[in-house]
Amino acid sequence: MHIDCTINGNERMFEVSKSDLLLDVLRRNGYTGAKRGCDTGACGMCTVQIDGEPTMSCVTPVAKADGATVETIEGLGTQDDLHPVQQAFVDNSALQCGFCIPGMIMRSKALLEENPDPTEAEVREALSDNLCRCTGYKKIVEAVLDASDRLAEQAVAADGGRAATDRCCDCHCAGDRPTGADRRGETDR
Amino acid sequence: MSDPDEPKPDGGTASQPEGESPELEDHPLEWDEPENNDLAPDERASVSRPAQKDDDPKLVTGQAKYTADYETQFPDLARAAVVRSEILHGYVTDIDASAAEEMDGVHAVLTPWSEGTPDAKYTSAGQSYPEPSPWDMTVLNEHVRYVGDPIAAVAAEDAETARAAAESIEVEYEEAEYVLDPEAAHSEDAPRLFEEDEVENEIVGHDYSRNRMAHIEGEIGDVEDAVAREDVHVHETEWETIRQSHAQIEPHTTLAYTDEDDRHVLVTSTQVPNHTRRQLAHLFDVPIRDVRVSKPRVGGGFGGKQAMVVEPIPLALSIAADRPVLYEATREEEFHAMRSRHPMTVRARTAVTEDGSIEAIDLYALSNTGAYGSHGMTVAGNVGSKPMPLYSKVPNARFEADIVHTNTPQTGAMRGYGAPQGTLALEGHLDEVARDLDLDPVEFRQRHYMEVGDLDEIAGMMGGEGAERRIRSCGLDECIERGKDAIGWDDVEQPDEDHLHRGIGMALSAQGTGVAGDELGAAQLMMNEDGSFHLHVGGVDIGTGADTAFIQIAAEVLGCDEEDIVIKSSDTDVTPFDYGAYASSTTYISGMAVKKAAEDAKERILYWGSKLLEEPESNLDTGDGTVYSEETGASVSLEEIGYEAAYGHDEREHILGKGTHCTEESPPPFAAQFADVTVDEETGEFEVTELVVAVDCGVAINPGMAEGQVEGANHMSYEMAVSEGITFDDEGRSEVRGFDDYDWPTAAETPTIESILVETHEPTGPFGAKSVAEVPTNTVPPALSNAIREAVGVRITEMPITAEKINAALEDDG
Repeated sequence: MHIDCTINGNERMFEVSKSDLLLDVLRRNGYTGAKRGCDTGACGMCTVQIDGEPTMSCVTPVAKADGATVETIEGLGTQDDLHPVQQAFVDNSALQCGFCIPGMIMRSKALLEENPDPTEAEVREALSDNLCRCTGYKKIVEAVLDASDRLAEQAVAADGGRAATDRCCDCHCAGDRPTGADRRGETDR
Repeated sequence: MSDPDEPKPDGGTASQPEGESPELEDHPLEWDEPENNDLAPDERASVSRPAQKDDDPKLVTGQAKYTADYETQFPDLARAAVVRSEILHGYVTDIDASAAEEMDGVHAVLTPWSEGTPDAKYTSAGQSYPEPSPWDMTVLNEHVRYVGDPIAAVAAEDAETARAAAESIEVEYEEAEYVLDPEAAHSEDAPRLFEEDEVENEIVGHDYSRNRMAHIEGEIGDVEDAVAREDVHVHETEWETIRQSHAQIEPHTTLAYTDEDDRHVLVTSTQVPNHTRRQLAHLFDVPIRDVRVSKPRVGGGFGGKQAMVVEPIPLALSIAADRPVLYEATREEEFHAMRSRHPMTVRARTAVTEDGSIEAIDLYALSNTGAYGSHGMTVAGNVGSKPMPLYSKVPNARFEADIVHTNTPQTGAMRGYGAPQGTLALEGHLDEVARDLDLDPVEFRQRHYMEVGDLDEIAGMMGGEGAERRIRSCGLDECIERGKDAIGWDDVEQPDEDHLHRGIGMALSAQGTGVAGDELGAAQLMMNEDGSFHLHVGGVDIGTGADTAFIQIAAEVLGCDEEDIVIKSSDTDVTPFDYGAYASSTTYISGMAVKKAAEDAKERILYWGSKLLEEPESNLDTGDGTVYSEETGASVSLEEIGYEAAYGHDEREHILGKGTHCTEESPPPFAAQFADVTVDEETGEFEVTELVVAVDCGVAINPGMAEGQVEGANHMSYEMAVSEGITFDDEGRSEVRGFDDYDWPTAAETPTIESILVETHEPTGPFGAKSVAEVPTNTVPPALSNAIREAVGVRITEMPITAEKINAALEDDG
């Protein structure tokens, strides 16, 4: 059988067998950004977005992608022009071996699309389907809160409002919204 | 331990007989440190600056290549699957692989009796040569000793076919008696896992008639004499640790093929490319030069990949199938057939005077090494030799360990390498002793612990002479002070509810930096004509950011931007020799090799600068991408030097630098851990609200990366304290088959971890660095046990710490 889908903005057609899982089809076709961590949907390494929803591709039948919009890590920024979420992970030293990071970034992007201004507790909850063995999660959580600030600034700038360049300094004190650092105090731990 | 050829328990090989006390002049406090090694913070251009990790842009865009990501580059790539023992102990009597062999798409099937199956004995431990681990296994086994022992292997056109073929293979066994409990295994009546002739390279103290692969001991002073004194109290406690999984996110993965020159090439997720190359040459009976081991990005190791766990199987299959073969371990295999941390029972005993002077410390460990002995003796040695030196002022000390086989999965190296087990016992024990004597637990420790200038004889207690060390950097006091401030040690408010009690516990830790006298790292640096550099280093980045640290070290010496250095690490055909990423050695050993290579190149750069500037080399230095004169202010860019050296009229030279580093030193990093817990005395439920860990790692080459290492290590340590690890059902089969069964704390379940870097200067390390990534793996279990003791008065000695155990202890108490 074949399926049609839009991957990272490009229309693609794949020959697949009915029993194929999305992760296998993606990886066979060169989208190796999504990683194989468990094959049971338990670790989040293979997270992609299908029609905007974060999805564990290792347990998703490829048929689910038929006619759908699929976003993988390859569709975000490039090495020379990182997406704000990617840039926030880099700037916060939030990655070590990096194997969990494509899934972690896709999950974080989905979270911030749904909840642009999460608390630390909400970030931790959202990331609980995505495991990381290297970082202890602290810098990842900080990166997601930082990404939230960056995306908000970008939105303000795009809105014709106060541009990012008008900020008083390089800290994240633009506007009245609480910064990631402020919100870290709001944890419900 | 008097045979100089015997491997020594901390991983090296003793070079001198023991018996004589260490000569002070062998360990002078003064260290002949080059001037450029001790830069003040404001003099550093690259080192200890928050440089972006070199591979970050690739990692965040999904462009980084891990082993499995090369699959699309090999159109005829076959996939491997392995048939593993389903019984705990016994002998394979027959294998029917006919169905698999006839299956469409199957390219090769190997059994223990196939011509293409290597039959030499080896150890999977990726250690120096001769390995301090017994050669007790074969690639495919007739005598199987645990559920998961590899028996047969298949290569097929895709993973599904390979799995189906493996499942169709029928294995007949003659079952044997098995033993799971290490105490029971260590008796003469127990079922035997090994006959004497089944093991080569036997280890000191082995006694296979009672399943003991090694026995080690060491002593300074006279512990029994101290314990017998009338003016001391003798305290004894016993501690148990979990079988922890490395759970590195990228499974063990290897891609193997034979190239056009009939050389075997392995792209593999390993911490030890050079050891793997040597071991494969042994197994396949080919010259070392005909094996190439290349490490791409590695998705975590933590010691689990300091072993040749899977590589021989895809290589044997690729030879048999005459095509490239990729083997990715499944997550289930990761939990039952790869490696884990040695579970141990550790007994701690001290003799302490009424006024709190520790006269003797005595530790004994019974280590369960599982079915095979990889890293068994060396890990057990570190149970004593890492934590005990913390108390270098104690005059009498002894450590003893038995390392015992059981029919359980294989253990191996894991971050901390025995130190977590020993640290739990020692730091939990000392805390309890302090409480018994009504002494402040911190002051009690401070009276005995290491200071700069101390000669640490305990570190050498089991390793023969030469492993003692002089302490030249120690930030314990500052670690404790800053840790106390951060957690609020002096101001612990109790919750309003009467049944809730809050307590803060603390623990100290020391580790080593590399294996004293048993490490080698090498690097070479090539200058391009545009003034940029290629840095080739054998050191292995398994995700820690080592490549970036190497670049920062080279950039600091060369006075160039980090972006001007392109790094290639860990490909045995291209990069110089290195022992690999283990024992916290990478930055210290391989980093020093990089520094030496950069200095070697710098000498030639200054020579060319001198020619161009017409000034003596002694006036010149490098900085900001130039060679400049401190006398005249004149300068010439590295790019001009590069072009002049390559294309000059009267003289030409390819500017190359090389550096090799090995050392007898292994300076300890230190950590002070604090844990803040609130316990419900009615239920035993507890919540850890914060972990603070302050680490003295010398100079942090990259502070952001170092903090990440500390936080990740502390998370792993927290897991040791509160989760069960790999557990077994009544029949001894692993109950953990996937991440869902392995309950390590998720982002939402992890307490806040605050990492504090305390900077000291270690004169033997590159720019003052020592290690960082293992020492915080050791400390949460004792700190949390101590915190619970502080909060509700009960002592939990068996990991994991659970509400049920606290509740039971409270009921016993009440």
